[in-house]
This record gives sequence, C-alpha cells and structure tokens, in this order.
Amino acid sequence: MSFLEITDLHVSVEGKEILKGIDLSLDIGRTAIIFGPNGSGKSTLMGAISGLPGYEITQGSITFKGQDISRLSVDERSRLGIGLSFQYPPAIKGVRLRTLLETLSRQAPDKITEYAQLLNLTAYLDRDINVGFSGGERKRSEVLQLMMQMPDLLLLDEPESGVDVENISVIADGLRIILEKEQPISRRKRSAIIITHTGFILDYIKADIAFVIMNGHVLGCGAPGEIFEEIRRDGYSKCSSCFAEKFCEEYKGAL
Amino acid sequence: MNTVQIDTGRLNEIGYNSCVASCGSFMVLDHTVMESHCNIEGLVVLPLKQAFDTYPHVREKLFFNVVPRDSSDTTLQAAEKEPVGYYVFVEPGIRIEEPLQAAFLFGETGSHQFIHNIIELGEGAELNIVNGCTTATHGRSGTHVGITETYLGKNAHLGYTMIHNWGHAMEVFPVGAVSVGEGARYISNYVGMTEVRKIVTNPAAYVEAGGSARFYSVIFSKGDSYFDTGARVLLKGNDASGEIISRVVSEGGTVISRQLLSGERPGTFGHMECSGLLLNENGVIHSIPELRGAHPDINLAHEAAVGKISREELSYLMTRGLTEEQARALIIRGFLDIKIEGLPDKVQSFMDEIISRSVEGSI
Repeated sequence: MSFLEITDLHVSVEGKEILKGIDLSLDIGRTAIIFGPNGSGKSTLMGAISGLPGYEITQGSITFKGQDISRLSVDERSRLGIGLSFQYPPAIKGVRLRTLLETLSRQAPDKITEYAQLLNLTAYLDRDINVGFSGGERKRSEVLQLMMQMPDLLLLDEPESGVDVENISVIADGLRIILEKEQPISRRKRSAIIITHTGFILDYIKADIAFVIMNGHVLGCGAPGEIFEEIRRDGYSKCSSCFAEKFCEEYKGAL
Repeated sequence: MNTVQIDTGRLNEIGYNSCVASCGSFMVLDHTVMESHCNIEGLVVLPLKQAFDTYPHVREKLFFNVVPRDSSDTTLQAAEKEPVGYYVFVEPGIRIEEPLQAAFLFGETGSHQFIHNIIELGEGAELNIVNGCTTATHGRSGTHVGITETYLGKNAHLGYTMIHNWGHAMEVFPVGAVSVGEGARYISNYVGMTEVRKIVTNPAAYVEAGGSARFYSVIFSKGDSYFDTGARVLLKGNDASGEIISRVVSEGGTVISRQLLSGERPGTFGHMECSGLLLNENGVIHSIPELRGAHPDINLAHEAAVGKISREELSYLMTRGLTEEQARALIIRGFLDIKIEGLPDKVQSFMDEIISRSVEGSI
C-alpha cells in the first residue's frame, strides 16, 4: 500500500462531475508534479484530497497512511498530516498571522521567528492573515503556515502563480525544509503533490514523478523534466497520443 | 449603612480590583459611595455631592450643562434625584499614566439606580478612566441611569473605557456627552459582553478646532438582549476629526447600532466603520451609519457590513488542523479585536481578556 493511494476517484462540484476515475499513488518521501490545462480537474483533486467542502466524492477512495480518508472532515485530514497551500488563500480580517501560527503546534513556537525570517515575513506576523498582502506575500504566508504545521503530505496548488522569480526561490527554500530535500530519498518522511501551470517551480524543487490530468482523467505519468518539455513543445493537445503508453508503465515501478 | 455584600468576583470581571495599581478609585453600591480616593497630586476624585460644596463651579457650570437637564425623560427623571457619582478633575499639565478605576454596582433587586458623573481635565492634562458596571450576584433586575458629563480643556487627553457586565434582567440607560476643547483628544471604548434586557445609549462629542473624538465599541449580544447603542461626533471647529468603530457579534437578541458623524467646519474629517457578525438566525443587527456635511471642505466616509462567518475562511483555518469550533472562535475573537491607539497596555490587555473569555464561553 502506498503512502497515498487514490483509486477510481470520481468527484463532482455543484452536481457536475469533474474527476472521472482518477488512479494515482505516491510513496513516502516522493514529490509529484501534476500538469494539466485549465479546467482539467487539478485543483478539484487537491480539494478532494484535503476534504474541502464542495468537492463531493461520488465513487472511489482516497487512502492515506493506510486509512480511507474519503469521509473524514477537512480538519481531521489535516490532523492526520495533510497540508494544503491554496492557490487563492482568503484574507481573514482580525486574525493575525502570528495567532494562527501559534496554534499550529507541530513546531516549537520559537520556530515562528526563524521561519518568518527565512520567508521575509517578520513584518507580517502581526498583520491580519493575507489582508493587504501581495500575491507573493500570500504564497510565502502559505509556506510559513505549512512550515509550522509540518504536514506529512503537502498539497501545493500553483505555489508559484503570481510570484516573481526572487520570491519563487524563497518559497522553494521553505518547501525544501519541509520536504527534507537535503536527505537521501530513502530517509525523507514527507511527500508532496504540486500543481503547476508554468513548471517554473521545477527549477527549484526536484520532483520525482509527474502526472498529466486532462478532462478528469490521469492521462499519464513520467519523468517531470521530460513531460514538461513535451508539453512545452507540443502543448496538451497531443498528450492523449503520447503519455499514456510512453511513460506511465515505465514509472509505475518507481512508486 | 448598606448591608449588601460586595462580590469581589463581579468586581474583578469589570476590572475593579483594589490590588491593581491605579491612580485612584471610586465605587458606588446602589445609592451609596463605598470608596473614593486618589493617590496622585493634581488629581481630584470626590463624590459629586461633596464636590458641589468644595468647587462651586461644578454645580454652577458643569452640572447638567453638556447634557441638558431637559434632553430626555431620563435626564428629567435623574434631575429630580440627589446626585450620586464622582467628580474627577485633573489639574492643567498633569499627565497621569496609571488608570483611575471606578465601579458602579447594582445590588438591590427591583430598584432604580441614578448615577451622575462629571469629569474635567485642565489644559494639557491626561487621564485614563476604566469604569465598570455590574450587578451584585443577587441583584438581578432593576434600572440603572448613568449620566456622564465630560469637559476637556485645550490639548487635554482622556481615555474613557466602559465595561458593562449587567445581569440579564437589567435595563440600563447611560447618557453621555463630551466637550472636546481645542486640540484635545477623547477616546471612548465600550465593551458589552453579557446578556442584558435593555441598554439604550447614544453619547455625543462636541469637538472644537483641531480636537478629535474616537468611539470604539464591541458588543456580543446573547439571549434576548436589546442594545440600542451608538455614538455621535459633531465636529464644530476647523480641522476637528472623529472616528467611530463598532463591532457587533450576535447569537441572539437585537442590536441597533447608530452612528453619526457631522462635519460643520472646514477641514473636518472623520471615518466610521460598523461591522456586524450574525452567528445564527436568532439575532438581528440593525446598523445605521449617518454622515452629515454642512461645509464643502470636509471629508467624511463610512463603511458598514452585516453578515455571517465566511465558509471559505472557516475551511481555510480547518485545513490547518483547527476544529470548526476553534476556527469559529478565532474568527469571532479577531472580529472583536480592536487595537486602540493611545490606550494604556494594561487597559487594552484587560479588554482583550474579557472579550476572549466571553467568546470562549459562547462557542
């Protein structure tokens, strides 16, 4: 049994089926990238794994650490070790970033200062969460929260969108700490799924495997760099004729 | 001699504690002044009746002046009673850091308490007052009328904090007005966190040139409470400014929140923000922000919103591992969290503490 095992997952949003039988698995210590065009179901997959309301699982299962989490609430999944970085995190007036960080108890409180410095967010600790934050500041705030949460499975929804190059590098520094990227893969305890549109994050975070999602199905999986190159060269329109046979079987062994 | 026992627990809940360092204290139980003293030179704290004898101008010029005797039935009724309350005076140029603490206790079930306070600050004087009003545990029903007249000299500064902790069967009618002199600053904080049958109050500040008046209020309405509260800032002098910020959380009852900013002279400016959060379908929040401009060279603005806790915000916090109850409490606590510039840390911490206690008790 993999660390994360998704089997025949069907998910509807407002009565419309978005995911139409996703099969995907990820081992401990691995980082997966998910590519896919707009509307393919990438964010829906993140919402369904993390348990956000509005994502109705109509068929199939999600197993994490050997437990079927399909019916658990969002906070129960979080406490089990799933952490989500939102593509568009909301602003919460009145709740200071520091107050929230202090409640995320998997890290010692003095880490708040250390990690905030790393992410250039020291001046934002006593501001309301995401209120008046720029796109890059919001994404750094997401990573800071995850660093205090230290989840076993990170779900990163477009961590680099709306972020300049300098900030992507800072965000990646934080993510590498959570994912223990300095350790050999066999000793890493945390896994990640990263959704990316641009692929820029691949320049900073080494991923082990890539999946392509289109029209609610996993089309294929393979080496992240190669798949990204193919998409850049040929676009998603040709994916249906290449990825499935070409990469997927080859990399199943790696899981 | 009043035989009612004073409940120190109730006093602590409104910030009145004889162990806490303060520049002075004043306490009334029902109609009797139980305590009146001050520890600082340049500060006068006296029962009002005694002040009439010692300082004749108090009766002649300050008593029923900024609050006119005939301004309402309540004031007419109060004018017929013997005045019980404090006279507080700070000499010109004296700045006092420690807050003055005052408590008004209601002990006798079914009776009517009439309080009349007068505050006078000389030019450049500074003071903070923390007033707490509560019922003794056995005094559950009755009427409280509290008139407070405040006079701030040129460049004076007063921070005036009012904590209400009434019993659920009390009817309360605070009447307040402030004369804010040139360049003077007045800050009012109102905290109402407990269930009460009725509170009706709508204090006014008349602000002279360069002066400022700021009203902050946080109300947590529960049960069948009825709050008709507000603030009026009338900017009478050039470049006077005002701010009114009101935060109301309701899990029951009715809250009418009235605010008025009136700019009458050039250069006056003001801002108001009225926000209401409905936790369920049992409560009503009726927010009435009003702006009045009587000169073209003014700048007045307001924002108002009444709504519920956003599902998106709750889910966001829950992805961090907070339960729904914890997430809800964090949002409500944050909603009520007003950090007030110029408020002593001790007073701010106390306000924070009672708000947290009230939110935790409700969720």
